[in-house]
Amino acid sequence: MKAIGEFTKGIIKENPVFIMALGLCPALAVSTSVENAIGMGAAATFVLLGSNLIISLIKNFIPAKIRIPCFILVIASFVTIVDMTMHAYLPPLHKSLGIFIPLIVVNCLILSRAEAFASKNGVGLSILDALGMGIGFTLALVIIATFREILGSGTFLNMQILPQSYKPMIVAILPPGAFFTIGLLMGLFNQLKKKNN
Amino acid sequence: MKNILKPTGILLIICVISSTILSVLYSRTKPIIEANNKAAIEAARKAVLPDAVKESFTAVDVNNIASGQPDFEPDSILFYKGYNQAGELVGFTYKSAGQGYSSSTKVVTMVGINLDLKIDKIKIIKQQETPGLGANCTSTDFTQHFSHKDPSTIKVDKDGGEIKSITGATITTRAVTNSIRDEFLTIKKDMMKQLDKGAE
Amino acid sequence: MQISNLFFIIISAIFINNFVLVRFLGLCPYIGVSKKLDSALGMGMAVIFVMTMASVFTWLINHFFLSPVTGIFNYDLTFLRTITFILSIAVLVQFVEMVIRKSAPELYKALGIYLPLITTNCAVLGVSILNITENYNFIEALLNGMASGVGFTLVLLLMAGMRERLDRAKVPKAFKGMPIAFILAGTMALAFLGFSGLKF
Repeated sequence: MKAIGEFTKGIIKENPVFIMALGLCPALAVSTSVENAIGMGAAATFVLLGSNLIISLIKNFIPAKIRIPCFILVIASFVTIVDMTMHAYLPPLHKSLGIFIPLIVVNCLILSRAEAFASKNGVGLSILDALGMGIGFTLALVIIATFREILGSGTFLNMQILPQSYKPMIVAILPPGAFFTIGLLMGLFNQLKKKNN
Repeated sequence: MKNILKPTGILLIICVISSTILSVLYSRTKPIIEANNKAAIEAARKAVLPDAVKESFTAVDVNNIASGQPDFEPDSILFYKGYNQAGELVGFTYKSAGQGYSSSTKVVTMVGINLDLKIDKIKIIKQQETPGLGANCTSTDFTQHFSHKDPSTIKVDKDGGEIKSITGATITTRAVTNSIRDEFLTIKKDMMKQLDKGAE
Repeated sequence: MQISNLFFIIISAIFINNFVLVRFLGLCPYIGVSKKLDSALGMGMAVIFVMTMASVFTWLINHFFLSPVTGIFNYDLTFLRTITFILSIAVLVQFVEMVIRKSAPELYKALGIYLPLITTNCAVLGVSILNITENYNFIEALLNGMASGVGFTLVLLLMAGMRERLDRAKVPKAFKGMPIAFILAGTMALAFLGFSGLKF
């Protein structure tokens, strides 16, 4: 039962973006299209899984004093793996995510999961935690991107869904649109949370 | 002393392990990445000069800098000749780069030139312009404006020319247009030389 | 090297491509530390300092170790860029913290608690990587690092000033705190879009 809780908490109750406000930079920067959002979500989930797994395995060997540098090293290695693999096999996606792939290293979501969860829990739970958080992160990105892509380009996953006569609201895919979207969605999440309580 | 040695040792071990893994992966992915880049460039060449056979493109090495180094591609000094099935010269392609709206990435355009020194087609191969505005430069609605124009005189409409600028993205339009023109003017002479050679 | 070019880098880093509002880097401290004006000032100063130092250090590392052309190993080690940069930033932050604590206790009191947070500020790693991808030389990298930090501090202070007022405003309950801060950031980003006209 506890295991299921560790998995599902990241998706809604402790959603990394909307509730805990972690990993905001990529959430805003790459959410101009749903395609990018899924790519970024998958990349971050992979790094999260890898780092949680390794850190929960080696946590007993690492002296407390140097644990943060060690975590950062592990995370940076996984990020470089994602970077190179994506560059080789998914070049268009690599190009559109650009600088935000190496910047997964400093995504506070990943370091905070390593510090707050993986360094204190076993391998199994850490993997579930990473999966849940990763899915929650991806979900949040996709939700933001859905609004921005539909309003800003009239498309969803590059398919035209609004009639051609719709004049795209370009501001939605410009930086201000990202801030407005996430602000409104966070307010919505707060409202829902209050109702549930 | 021991307090320092142990943490340092552990950090070192992690460093060594991770850089070993990374260098193995790097040596695996590097050839694939290079092949991808090469294939993308070749496809772009074919796209802007459709009459030519894909395998026929040969580099014209103006300054002899790149001789013997087929992968080495300085942006400014090379253009390529394209031949058709019969082995006749059908045109040239070159790359031009202009500073657009994004400060980190220039807008890079592949240009195809016909034998009468008019633009055949162009294709934007690299850009990081604003989505929804400048990024629309990749659409054929924009690039088709360039076909059959004389590259030595093209200008954006706001500068009194004939290229209709993208809504809200004059800077991007100007980057593309001016870079095509300036690059063409630098290599025009050498292109004409190649034409004379072909006529002989 | 032209002075106008350097001037352009500074203006661009502060206004046109503002790190927070246009590039989306360093958002966590931007939202997290902007509740009070004086803590925002402390954070801003610490960021300017670390970003400048990090630009210098990572540029040197890239130039002398990682780059295949100018590096001492003559081998392409750029695939280790992320890992070496983040490590050197972490070391740098620790080092700066120790030096300031010893030599300037007053300053340490003001900046102290913000320094460790900076390691995971993506703006620092961001500026280091951008310096390399934009092929900046040493002086340009240094200026870009400093100006980006100034740009970050500028919007952080503006935001903190507004949020102190916002505390007294009537905001719908669900929007209290972060949501309204983001809406505010959105309007600021709209205003900063106006700076894009400074280019050309």
